[in-house]
Amino acid sequence: MAVYSGLPRRSFLQALALASAGIVGSGALSRSGRLLGQALPAGPGDPEIPNEEVARIYRERFGGRPITRAHVQLDMPAVAEDGRIVPVIIESDLPMTSERYVKGIHLIVDHNPDPHVAGFYLTPAAGQVSISTRIKMKRSTWVRAILETSTGELWADYTKVLVTLNGCG
Amino acid sequence: MGHQVGEARIRVPDRIVKGEIITVNSIISHPMDTGFFRTKDGDPIPAYFINDVVITYGGDEVARFEWTSGISRDPVVSFSLRADREAPLTMRWKDNKGGVYTQSVDIAFTAA
Repeated sequence: MAVYSGLPRRSFLQALALASAGIVGSGALSRSGRLLGQALPAGPGDPEIPNEEVARIYRERFGGRPITRAHVQLDMPAVAEDGRIVPVIIESDLPMTSERYVKGIHLIVDHNPDPHVAGFYLTPAAGQVSISTRIKMKRSTWVRAILETSTGELWADYTKVLVTLNGCG
Repeated sequence: MGHQVGEARIRVPDRIVKGEIITVNSIISHPMDTGFFRTKDGDPIPAYFINDVVITYGGDEVARFEWTSGISRDPVVSFSLRADREAPLTMRWKDNKGGVYTQSVDIAFTAA
């Protein structure tokens, strides 16, 4: 917890609350439930659309189709000390066969200047969905990994990341 | 990294058995400037970032990535590939100023 020592008490408590929520939210039970494809009921864990930029991305890229929180695992640190370099791992148990495969992965950071940080477009040659990279984050926010299959289904995972140093300027 | 812009490396496992799914690791040297920062003298630093990555395996396009300046400086990306034939794996990175950078590795099998 030494990383918080320079912060005011309120920031510390917020950080602690967010970090705890992150630990609970990424618990083994909820993870395995998601990977098994059991759609979790929409609840306080599913983030609202926060701004017009993200709304536009949803309109243009997903056309208002339903997005279900299952089959995707978005792994990021609960607390990112340096917003310039935040590791991201996206995995899925969805099949990668010529009949049915994940054709696109959209990585969205709600409060970045350009929220659609990256799109990863795959073919069955990938064998499985496993992507890792490093991104910039301006401030604490929800991050979304939304997968589109070749048959048009949309699957997602969301995680909230606390950022202590702005990585976007 | 302090390397020249566009210097890139791709790493695949030393031992690959035909048909297995391998992890491909890559890194390329690039500033990935957002356009939001200024120099110490107050001059704006223009946006300069890789926005397109194409991966081919034996000449077939197997993946394509659409990037923004939201990817960190000196971009790393790892992805899966089913190694079903001995062929070159090539990555081509393009940036918003017309820079094009390529790197290849040979996918070769070891006896099982």
